[in-house]
Amino acid sequence: MPVDCVCRDSASLRREWLVMEDIILEAINLSYTYPDGTRALKNISMKIKRGRKIAVLGANGAGKSTLFLNFNGVLRPQTGKIFFKGREVRYNRAGLTELRTGVGIVFQDPDTQLFSASVYQDVSFGALNLKLPLAIVNRRVDNALRGTDTYHLKDKATHFLSYGEKKRVSIADVLVMEPDVIIFDEPTACLDCRNTLQIMTLFEGLNKSGTTLIMATHDVDVTWAWADEVFILKDGSIEGAGSPERVFADEPLLRATGIETPIVMEMYDRLRAVGFIEEPSPIPRTKQELFALIEKSPPLSFKIAAPIAP
Amino acid sequence: MLHIDQYAYLSRLRGEDPLLKVLFTSATMGICLWADSVLISLLVIISMASVTVFVGGISGRFYGKLLLIPLSFLVVGVLTIALDVSRHPAGFLCALNFAERYVGITVPGILRAVRLFCQAFGCISCLYFLSLTTPLVDLLAVLRKLRVPKLIVELMGLVYRFIFILLDMADAIYTAQASRLGYATVRSGYRSLSALASMLFIRSYKQAQDLYAALESRGYDGELRVVEPNYTVALEKYAVVVFCECLLIACAVIVHRCGGSG
Repeated sequence: MPVDCVCRDSASLRREWLVMEDIILEAINLSYTYPDGTRALKNISMKIKRGRKIAVLGANGAGKSTLFLNFNGVLRPQTGKIFFKGREVRYNRAGLTELRTGVGIVFQDPDTQLFSASVYQDVSFGALNLKLPLAIVNRRVDNALRGTDTYHLKDKATHFLSYGEKKRVSIADVLVMEPDVIIFDEPTACLDCRNTLQIMTLFEGLNKSGTTLIMATHDVDVTWAWADEVFILKDGSIEGAGSPERVFADEPLLRATGIETPIVMEMYDRLRAVGFIEEPSPIPRTKQELFALIEKSPPLSFKIAAPIAP
Repeated sequence: MLHIDQYAYLSRLRGEDPLLKVLFTSATMGICLWADSVLISLLVIISMASVTVFVGGISGRFYGKLLLIPLSFLVVGVLTIALDVSRHPAGFLCALNFAERYVGITVPGILRAVRLFCQAFGCISCLYFLSLTTPLVDLLAVLRKLRVPKLIVELMGLVYRFIFILLDMADAIYTAQASRLGYATVRSGYRSLSALASMLFIRSYKQAQDLYAALESRGYDGELRVVEPNYTVALEKYAVVVFCECLLIACAVIVHRCGGSG
């Protein structure tokens, strides 16, 4: 918080503060109830920092998709506000266009997103909606297709693609708009290992180039390896938030929300508990980091510390 | 039938200017209908089939099988045309007597039927050429170029895309039902089928809503703007097509002059 904030109105204060913290997207006291009476979001507040990798964990029906549709302006919150780049979102044409240009969603099922029978045309849709000149649209579509490794599919029919290919095309659909924030609704669900790895590599590249990524997932291991920040959503409320180290160390929280501990973290804790890893080191995030740590530790120390209480 | 679509994508003529293909198809079909002659119809059938199979690279076996599909409809339709009704038994090759009327086959009747049969087959071969070389996406581009209202073209595109999703859905539901003996008896079969139909309806509705949300999130404002496929318009190819059509017209005129319209 700025110190000299006495004589400023609250709106400009907020703007300044957001810029200082570099918060790109923020929800304040967001609530959303569907017409059938389902209270999908209950008073949610969250801040998304620019350039971060954010994981949103939660069971099916926890409200993740509703939250994302609110972030993109497809749904309008009944109470609460959304701020994008420090400014409150206005629900008129200009405001929505700005929000949707800045925040893209990749939906869980690519079949709901791909509306055209031609891959190239489907990807071009978002870019054309930005009213860009045709030459730039073509260049962006080519880039998006190359970036998702789908350029060879550009003349193919959408319905002849495999699930993994459709998924990558649906990502290209959003990349073509070059948004600041991309929201992925369970991007690795139903994907095989190769495709998952390919998509996670793609995410890494996107994040390096400055894009803020939000990912809904069930996979705690992917979250542990990937995320800078974790939000845990349950029944429309945020139950926990913070760095993965903090969130996954909070056992009561994990119990209450039914979320498991990531295997790498659990292994590390056990190895430390039995004294195999002695020196306090940064907690490994991936299998490889854990293995490196194990290889570094002297095997003797394990023998000495071996007797453990059953 | 969905294979047609797959073959259209594999055809060697896929990359050609779709407007040219539409022009070629409609002109040939028009001439075939106008000439109303067995010889011209046969010429159209042979040339269209060879262009589709040899130039387009569609397997001959598949093409033959495809031709068999409309054959049964055609035979039934044409048979009724071959029949004549008269009060006098004269002129019939063979006839049945029904209460002072004769129903049977006459020579002009047969000729009429053969001419119509060939004409219809000629048109079918023209349409097969188009559908086996041109994916629907390209046809939609042609329709847009021809200034067909946007709404119709957009709807055609969406319907086409969602046929496949609907089929996948129906297939998945059917398999799920069949694996639980949903179609073991006629009775349960009917029950499962009705559940399948209502399920499909509900899911399509949901799918449409989801699609709308997804389109909106990408900036949809009432118009599905997409980049049109880019084809090189080669005037010499147009010239070749025009030349072929002129040749066909000339043939038709000659056939008529020689009185060989039958």
